[in-house]
Amino acid sequence: MKKTIDIPLGSQHISLLEPVRFKFECENEKIIGVDSDVGFVHRGIEHACTTKFKFDGIGYVVARICGLCAITHSLTYTAGIEKLLGGEITQKAKYLRILLLELDRIHSHMLCLSHTCENAGFEAMFMRIMGDREIIMEIQELLTGNRVQFDFISIGGVNRDLDASRAKEIIIKLEIVKQKVLGYIDVFTNNWSLSLKFQGVGALSLDEAYRFNAIGPLARASGLNIDVRNEIDYLPFFELGFVMQTHTDGDINARNLVRLNEILNSLEMCNNTLEGLPEGDIFTKLKGKPKGEVLVRLEAPRGELMYYIKGGGKSMLERVRIKTPTFSSIPAFSHIFVGENYADAPAILASFDPCLACTAK
Amino acid sequence: MFNSFFKAFTNLFKKPQTIKYPATPIEKDKDFRGLIEYEQEECIYCLKCEKACPPGAILFVSVENPPNNEKNKKGLKYHYNPYLCIYCSECVRACPKPNEALWQSNKKPPIGVKEDEVNGVL
Repeated sequence: MKKTIDIPLGSQHISLLEPVRFKFECENEKIIGVDSDVGFVHRGIEHACTTKFKFDGIGYVVARICGLCAITHSLTYTAGIEKLLGGEITQKAKYLRILLLELDRIHSHMLCLSHTCENAGFEAMFMRIMGDREIIMEIQELLTGNRVQFDFISIGGVNRDLDASRAKEIIIKLEIVKQKVLGYIDVFTNNWSLSLKFQGVGALSLDEAYRFNAIGPLARASGLNIDVRNEIDYLPFFELGFVMQTHTDGDINARNLVRLNEILNSLEMCNNTLEGLPEGDIFTKLKGKPKGEVLVRLEAPRGELMYYIKGGGKSMLERVRIKTPTFSSIPAFSHIFVGENYADAPAILASFDPCLACTAK
Repeated sequence: MFNSFFKAFTNLFKKPQTIKYPATPIEKDKDFRGLIEYEQEECIYCLKCEKACPPGAILFVSVENPPNNEKNKKGLKYHYNPYLCIYCSECVRACPKPNEALWQSNKKPPIGVKEDEVNGVL
C-alpha cells in the first residue's frame, strides 16, 4: 500500500498571485517529492514577435509579458536591437533608463515583501507595504505617464524627458520611501511572525544554489555573488553606486533581507541618477534593419533576463527567444520544497517571488 | 507594547489612504498618456502614424465621400480605435506636424457600450 499522499497546490490557490500548479508528495507533514507545471498563462508572445509585429514595435509587445518587470523586458529587447543596428545612445538616455529600471525593482520587491507578509498571516503589514508602494507607482506615473505599462523606452533612447522641478518632486518622494523601508527592516528583523518564524525555513545552501543554477535574490540570499549588473557595461551601474547585496543564511528571512537591502541600494541609485542627470538629447535616431544575431542579458527584479534576437535584414525578425528568471530558478524551487513541512509551502513559495506570466509568456 | 497601542489609537484619526471614487474624482496628471486626438484640416496624409502604430489602431481607409482636404489625394479617412490603442504615442512622435495634426491628450477612452445599455437594459 502507498504510504504517501499527493496534495495539489494550485493552479488556483489562495496563496498564489498567478496560476502555477505544484503537486506535493507528502509523507505525514513532510514533503518528499515535488512536481510543477507553469504553463497556464501561455500567450504565444515569442511567435507573435516574429509573425505579427515589426521589429520597432516589439519593444511594446514584450513589455506586456509581465506587469512587474515591463521596463526590464522592453529595455533588454531594445538593447539587443541597438547592438544589431550598431548605434550609441546618449548618456542622459542611459541614466533615465537606469532610473526606471531601479524604480521597477523597488516596486517589484515591495510587492514580493507584502505577499510574504500576507502568507505569514500578517495582513496589516501587507496593507502597509502595498500602500507605501503607491508612492513608487506615482513616481513612475510622473515619469512615464502611466502606472503599469510605461512604454518609456524606444530604440535609440527614451520617450520622455525629465525636467528639474519633477526631479526635485521625485527626490522628496524617494526620501519618504527610504524612511518607510528602514522601518520595514526593523519589522522584518525583530517581528516574530516575519523573522524568527522564518529562520531556517526553506533554506538553500551556497553549494545547492550553485548546483541548481539559482539566480537573482534567491542566489544572493545563499551567498552566491551573481548579479548581471556586476557583469555588463552598456549601462553605467557602478557610476551610480551599485553595490551587490548578499546574505549567507539562504532561508526565507535572508531572502527578505536581501530584497530590503536591494531596495535601499536602488533608492540610492535613483537619487544619484536624479542628482547627476547629464544634459543632452534623450533620443538618437538609429537607421537600418537588424541583421545578425545577438544575446543580451539584464538583471530583472527576480534575476537574469536573457534575450536572443536573430534578424535577417528585414522588418520582421527571424527569432526572438526570451529566457526569464523564474524559468531558470524552477530546479532550485523544486529542491527547496523537499524536506519542508507542507504548512510552510505557501510561505516558501512567496519568498521565491515567482513570476509566471513571464515564465509561460 | 505601549508603542503599538499608541500607534493603533492614532491611526483611528488618520485619513484613509484610498480615494472614495467616484464621489471624489481622481486627479489626472497633465502628462497622463490618454486618447490620441486628431485634427483633420491640419493632416497632410503622409500615413506615417499608421505605419508607426504597433497594434494598428490607426487606419486610413478610402471612402466614397472623403474629408475636404487638398492634401488628401487618395480619398482617405482617418479611423482610430481607442480600444486597440496602447497609448504609447509612437504615432505622435512619427507625425511631421505633432500638436497640430495629431497629439496625445490626458482623456480616458469612452466606455465600450452605449449609455442606455449600461445597467443591463438591452
